[in-house]
Amino acid sequence: MKLKHSLITRRNFLNGLFGGWAAAFAATFISPIVKFAWPPYKEPDEVKLLWSDYKDLKPGEVKGFPWGAKPGILKRSADGSFIAFVGVCTHLDCNVVWRPEQNKFFCACHDGWYDEEGKNIQGPPPKPLRRLDTAVEGEDFFVRKPEAKA
Amino acid sequence: MSARGIVNWFVDRLALKPILDYMHKKEVPQHHHTIWYYTGSSILLFLFIQIITGILLALYYQPTLEGANASVGRIMTELPLGWLVRSIHSWSATFMIATAVIHMLAIWFTKSYRKPREVTWMTGFVLLVVSMMFGFTGYLLPWDDLSLAATKVGTNIPKAIPVVGTWVTQLLRGGDDVTGDTLTRFFIFHVCVLPLLVFAVMIVHILLVQKEGMSIPLKDEVEKKKLPWLPFWPNFILRETMIWLVLLGILLTISVLFAPSLDLSADLMAPAPEGVKPEWYFLFLFQTLKIFPANMGPVTGEFVAVALILVVVVAIFFMPFLEGNPRGKRSKLVTYGGILGVIYAIVMSIWSLL
Repeated sequence: MKLKHSLITRRNFLNGLFGGWAAAFAATFISPIVKFAWPPYKEPDEVKLLWSDYKDLKPGEVKGFPWGAKPGILKRSADGSFIAFVGVCTHLDCNVVWRPEQNKFFCACHDGWYDEEGKNIQGPPPKPLRRLDTAVEGEDFFVRKPEAKA
Repeated sequence: MSARGIVNWFVDRLALKPILDYMHKKEVPQHHHTIWYYTGSSILLFLFIQIITGILLALYYQPTLEGANASVGRIMTELPLGWLVRSIHSWSATFMIATAVIHMLAIWFTKSYRKPREVTWMTGFVLLVVSMMFGFTGYLLPWDDLSLAATKVGTNIPKAIPVVGTWVTQLLRGGDDVTGDTLTRFFIFHVCVLPLLVFAVMIVHILLVQKEGMSIPLKDEVEKKKLPWLPFWPNFILRETMIWLVLLGILLTISVLFAPSLDLSADLMAPAPEGVKPEWYFLFLFQTLKIFPANMGPVTGEFVAVALILVVVVAIFFMPFLEGNPRGKRSKLVTYGGILGVIYAIVMSIWSLL
């Protein structure tokens, strides 16, 4: 049935009303499903290590630590200070390895190279390795995201 | 009730008569491109083998960080013929992708995707992409260093796409990093989500093939020639069965002689192993990503590479509309484009292995 001057029939109107309601009802389930499927796990802001595990590191040596689910790399510089890296290639996320004989970090996945400062020098990596801050506080050795310091 | 009576009862209650009539009447045209018709059913053979061996493997496989590698080891060393079941599953995947690619190329070069078969082409291409997703998710499940590194690279690629990319990577990984959750989720994609998807799309694909009938060569289409034909049942089915038996023989022989190996359980913190390679059907994409420089002007080389790959994928999907020629017309551009694409894929694959 279609009323005079009406743009749509009553059937079309009711179909749209019911269809729209059904779609809106179904849509309310999307949010909880999406929230469940995309997990809330995030990278840590800082990790606490034991200072005694790292204080005997010689200049030029490296030692790993767990940065959440990623490998972290701590490297001692010639002046005795520490540089912390996220040991993950900035190209496609493969774990990098320190090559002491060449004084470079290497990613085997696509032949990416970084110098001892973590700067990308050869191959596909678009950015330097991510740097983290370090701090010794008593017995503890903290590695932190640079922005988490404030 | 006699046996015939029981059969008739089912035919009647399930309304199978039209389907049976159709099968009896179905004709398969005979011409110099008929051989390509067999590639479709060959894919089905390998899919069937994948389902059987996949269910067998899933009886013992454990999709967890602690159990995955060890359970594959157990399947291979302790269970009767377990090594062979895994080998067949791995090789049949390769054969299935290979026959699907041949199937697709045959349709590309004979221009069978044209009106009225546009949707058949598009569903077919989706099936190929889903098959590759099967391969990608299955590759991680043995959980050794190589499969872990390949998964890290593969799941990181969407990140190059602005806005939605990081989201896709998080969905695939179950977080920002590849962890035990990634393994569990890849298992569920592999044995639940993707199979449902494949069946849904495959039903549409196969019904459309029945609806439109077999595509015949361009020349005969123009001349409206009535080609010689074979009855689908039993003549064509008999020929298909012979091909299936030959393929099965080849598959079993290769599976026995070249069983896949299993490395030590992957360590999430270990450096990537050298010689990381994806499955052979991803090699040309792998090499494409590798040759792009780190940065190209304001964007990363990876972004340019991924954008180019996406454009090509979308173009292939919409091929029937992009070309737009009527049935019966030749299109040299498409033929040459296809040849160029095949050469590119072969050259890049070989290059990646050097």
